Amino acid sequence: MPQSATTSLFQAATSTFESLALLFPARCGVEGAGFVPLAATVSVAFRGAGEGRLVVGVTAGVLTALAENMLGAAAAPHAELQRDALGELANIVTGNVLPMINGAEAVYRLDPPSPAGAEPFRALDGETQLASTRLQMDEGEALLALFVSDVVGAAVTAPLPGVARA
Amino acid sequence: MTLNVLIVDDSAVMRAMIRRTLSLSGIALGDVYEAGNGVEALERLGEHWVDLALLDVNMPVMDGEELLTRIRASEEWRALAVIIVSTESSDTRLARLRAHGVEIVHKPFTPEQLRNTILQVTGLTHAAVSNDVSVPSGDFDF
Repeated sequence: MPQSATTSLFQAATSTFESLALLFPARCGVEGAGFVPLAATVSVAFRGAGEGRLVVGVTAGVLTALAENMLGAAAAPHAELQRDALGELANIVTGNVLPMINGAEAVYRLDPPSPAGAEPFRALDGETQLASTRLQMDEGEALLALFVSDVVGAAVTAPLPGVARA
Repeated sequence: MTLNVLIVDDSAVMRAMIRRTLSLSGIALGDVYEAGNGVEALERLGEHWVDLALLDVNMPVMDGEELLTRIRASEEWRALAVIIVSTESSDTRLARLRAHGVEIVHKPFTPEQLRNTILQVTGLTHAAVSNDVSVPSGDFDF
């Protein structure tokens, strides 16, 4: 049975957190996610077979743990390295989740990670939130949301053979 | 013996992570060089002896596929052991890369996966390039 975009996002995120950063998340409900005190958010825009962006936000404990586990203990206190580590994680999640949703042959170009703005989890004009997930781990929480363009991203949002929408 | 390694990735964080993963892989390393794109990589190859190159695919200036084509067209570097380190999932593109005689490691990856791929692409045995650092399976994932 085909899985939803949200399940794909959860799987891609979980796998990346685990193997890249040694953080072991479990899914928790997205209700109340707006009250999670996020320490940093990044966005990875993509274009090609579809257009959109993936946003990842993490709490302070997760942010520190990401830098420490990905780059070493010396990197943990440095804000710039923390953001870089989060950006790389977001980049890899994006690179993995898009083929899960839209098939391995769909080619995308990913922009470098960038700060996600003031309201990172609100859909912009002309885009739709395709999937979101909230992860709970010992170090804190992470929120992820996948937005697609209503026009150019139609290829992503349209159900493909064997792929269901969230 | 030790391996001189060239890491080519436009992300400084990913280069640092690959370097760290290499150090945990049990492979005895010589000099490790870094480049942020294909042009810089060709410069490093011109400056230093390299036994193994780890290449990202999507990079500005010159991407990994063009870099690989140039490496294989070069009299000096055509036999260089190359591993592609990428999130690339297109079977078509992966087949095109493999036609150049490379192995592929999908991000994210573990030190053990990287070590096994290095042994595969270099044709060396673990004993020949081991630094005697044991990496128990599943203990470290990056």
